[in-house]
Amino acid sequence: MTEASTVESAGSAPGSPLYELRGVTRTFAKGSVAVNALRGIDLDINRGEMLVLEGPSGSGKSTLLQLLGALDTPTSGQIRFAGRSLENEPDQVLTEIRSKEIGFVFQQFNLIPTLSADDNVAIAMVPREPSRDKRSARARELLTQVGLEHRFGHLPSRLSGGEQQRVAIARALANRPEVIIADEPTGNLDSDNAKEFMTLLHDLHERSGVTIIIATHDEDIASTTQRRIRLRDGSILADTRN
Amino acid sequence: MFSLSYAWNELHRRLGRTLVTAIGLAAGVGLVMGIIGVSQGLSDAQTKALSPLGSVGTDIIVTRTVAPTLSTATTTTTTFGGFGGGSGGGGSFAGGGGFFGGRGNAALNSSDAAALDAANSSVITDLAKLGPPGTKFTHDFFVPGTLITFPSKAVSDVAKVKGVTSAVGALSLDALHETGTVPKITASVKTGGQTISASVKPPVLTAAQQAAERTCIEGLINKQVGSTTTTIAGSAPGGPTGGGGFGGGGGGGFRFGAGASSAFAKCLTPAQKAYQQNVVVPEQTVNEVLNPPTTNTKTSTYTVAGVNPSNTTSGLVTKAQLVKGTWLSTTPATAATQVLVTTAYASQEGLKLDQTLSINSVKYKIVGLVNPTLTGDVSDIYFSLANLQTLSTNQSRVNEVLVSVANAKDVNAVAKAIKKELPGATVLTSKSLADQVTGSLSNARKLANDLGGALAVVVLLAAFLIAGLLTLSSVSKRVREIGSLRAIGWSRGRVVRQIMAETIGIGVIGGVVGIGIGVVICLIIGAVGPALSVSSTGLAVGASSVSGLVHQTTSATVATTVHLTAPIRVFTIVIAFVGALLGGLIAGVVGGWRAARLSPSSALRDLG
Repeated sequence: MTEASTVESAGSAPGSPLYELRGVTRTFAKGSVAVNALRGIDLDINRGEMLVLEGPSGSGKSTLLQLLGALDTPTSGQIRFAGRSLENEPDQVLTEIRSKEIGFVFQQFNLIPTLSADDNVAIAMVPREPSRDKRSARARELLTQVGLEHRFGHLPSRLSGGEQQRVAIARALANRPEVIIADEPTGNLDSDNAKEFMTLLHDLHERSGVTIIIATHDEDIASTTQRRIRLRDGSILADTRN
Repeated sequence: MFSLSYAWNELHRRLGRTLVTAIGLAAGVGLVMGIIGVSQGLSDAQTKALSPLGSVGTDIIVTRTVAPTLSTATTTTTTFGGFGGGSGGGGSFAGGGGFFGGRGNAALNSSDAAALDAANSSVITDLAKLGPPGTKFTHDFFVPGTLITFPSKAVSDVAKVKGVTSAVGALSLDALHETGTVPKITASVKTGGQTISASVKPPVLTAAQQAAERTCIEGLINKQVGSTTTTIAGSAPGGPTGGGGFGGGGGGGFRFGAGASSAFAKCLTPAQKAYQQNVVVPEQTVNEVLNPPTTNTKTSTYTVAGVNPSNTTSGLVTKAQLVKGTWLSTTPATAATQVLVTTAYASQEGLKLDQTLSINSVKYKIVGLVNPTLTGDVSDIYFSLANLQTLSTNQSRVNEVLVSVANAKDVNAVAKAIKKELPGATVLTSKSLADQVTGSLSNARKLANDLGGALAVVVLLAAFLIAGLLTLSSVSKRVREIGSLRAIGWSRGRVVRQIMAETIGIGVIGGVVGIGIGVVICLIIGAVGPALSVSSTGLAVGASSVSGLVHQTTSATVATTVHLTAPIRVFTIVIAFVGALLGGLIAGVVGGWRAARLSPSSALRDLG
């Protein structure tokens, strides 16, 4: 199977707007104190972009990532994702969107520890693909793409950190998403593995044109992407393109 | 719905957690099985002990008993001496003992009481017939106790009642065994030494006799005194009430010499002469107290019953209850010298298989040991029916009819019909016998029912609670995993279903292991088998009118020890399995509820 057919980009042409955020705020109640994690974010992200969200802890980076990943809804403001408003959607709709359009890569890999590499990939397809055989076949394809063809049946505990994160990428790609959201993907990797991982991500981006959003505070990673958005205290400090 | 392979992997790759939760459920379910088992074991023991009739293929027993109020009026005397009664136990029945439709119950009872009395009082040791003093004797008497015998025709009458599949006659008797030495009986009667006084009144002489006598005497006088003429004065002319004229009539101063008196006798009439010879001593009664001799006669009692050797499935004892040896021969001649003995009586009396018992000079071989279940009517020795009828001179008579009923739910109706057919009959059903049972068994069963149910519920709830808490803790440890699933597009429902699939899987494992534990518990209970006593006052054979004779009543109360078992039923296993599944389901609901509350963003947030 060709690479283009396995990692194809869903939806419209590259360059069309994927995210449109207008005046997005997010407030958490911590005890009696209201914490304003995001204070009025205006942001547009086009299809096929690969960008980095930077900022220290507490800058609102993770909160923004949750909103972009349809894991959370804003306290106020609008988020349009692929032409749909997310701000007032119920959990079922957000779940559906996550399942269909968004792939996640986490700092801690978040693989299911009791499932082998291929099952970990296949599990993401369970809501969408009823055939177990088809799920398994696609999982193996994706693992082969990320260079893990010799690790199908291995449990996460028997994989290195780099291998686990590659399994996570395969899982994120499973449902042919519009966007991959990666939260500190190299945070638990040594520098060699981190470099390797970023190379893989860039390859992927170049081949499939999938939109990739990476939250990181690693300067080496940030410097490799076309666009960098710097956050501080819940606001966008800088939005730069290389 | 859910991913089976995921659930399977969760279960077997987290084996520790799976097993701890499953064993928690299993322990609960196993205990519940044990509790149910004990409860059923008690119930079984009770059923076994309480429906003795069922165990001998019988649903109803028909007997004739005398109303207790009437039997108290009877008196029993221990009599020595040969006052009738055969040495084989009298067989005379003065009416009664049958079923008479036309008479009232009161009349029946009084006639029956009389008949029973007659039957029971036939226990008479006729010392005179036992041989010369010093002879050692042994004898067995067979008396019907309170169960009046009646003609075997009643059996066929009962068999005709609608709903009856079989009716078998049986004879159940008390036996009185006497041994001793014939005593010497001496009686001294004093006679004579009495003074007999009698007043004699001679018959009145006729005029002709008087004249003849006079002439005779005058002739004698004339002979003596010559021609002297004497007038005999004072002689009555012949009144009807002629007093003592003869004696008092001496007149004239005649003196008769000694020789003269005999001479006078010649002049008496023949009647006067004979009268003097016929003085009769007056009739008298001699009263002498005769002390009965002291004897060393010893009596012991046992119970006997007659069964039909050719009917091995229905009767007072059945072939199924044979513990050792063989059943009575179906050849009457062979069966006539065979007996079956209950294991209890055999061990009490030290009897062994093939040993011979001598009863009224006939040797009987113990061909089999039987162990009838607890019943109101256990006998010590079983003869063939025909044999016992002959032995107790009860030919063609029985005192029990054992009835099998086609349909268990018709028992009461059939019992009623039999009562109608045979007025005055005592009709006992298994249930009415069961109601008379007391003892630790019934207490234990009540306890098991009252407490066991509550205990089972508590144990199950505890197991459910443990399973729920363990699942809750497991879900809490899987926050990131579950959050990740939610993040990558698993809905709440799917996550909950997945958790439920896992816990139900644990429930299945818990059920299987629990059934194993339950089986082991039941087997241990069966092996240890705490003893329970059951006592039943059922068909008391030894009874009021005989009790005076036999010193103690026999088989009035039958006590039996039943060992507790905990049987394992399919029902119990199903209950156990369903219980474990329910536990898994409850744990799943608890865990699922917790998982559903997890935000998908926890996959990102809880990075610790």
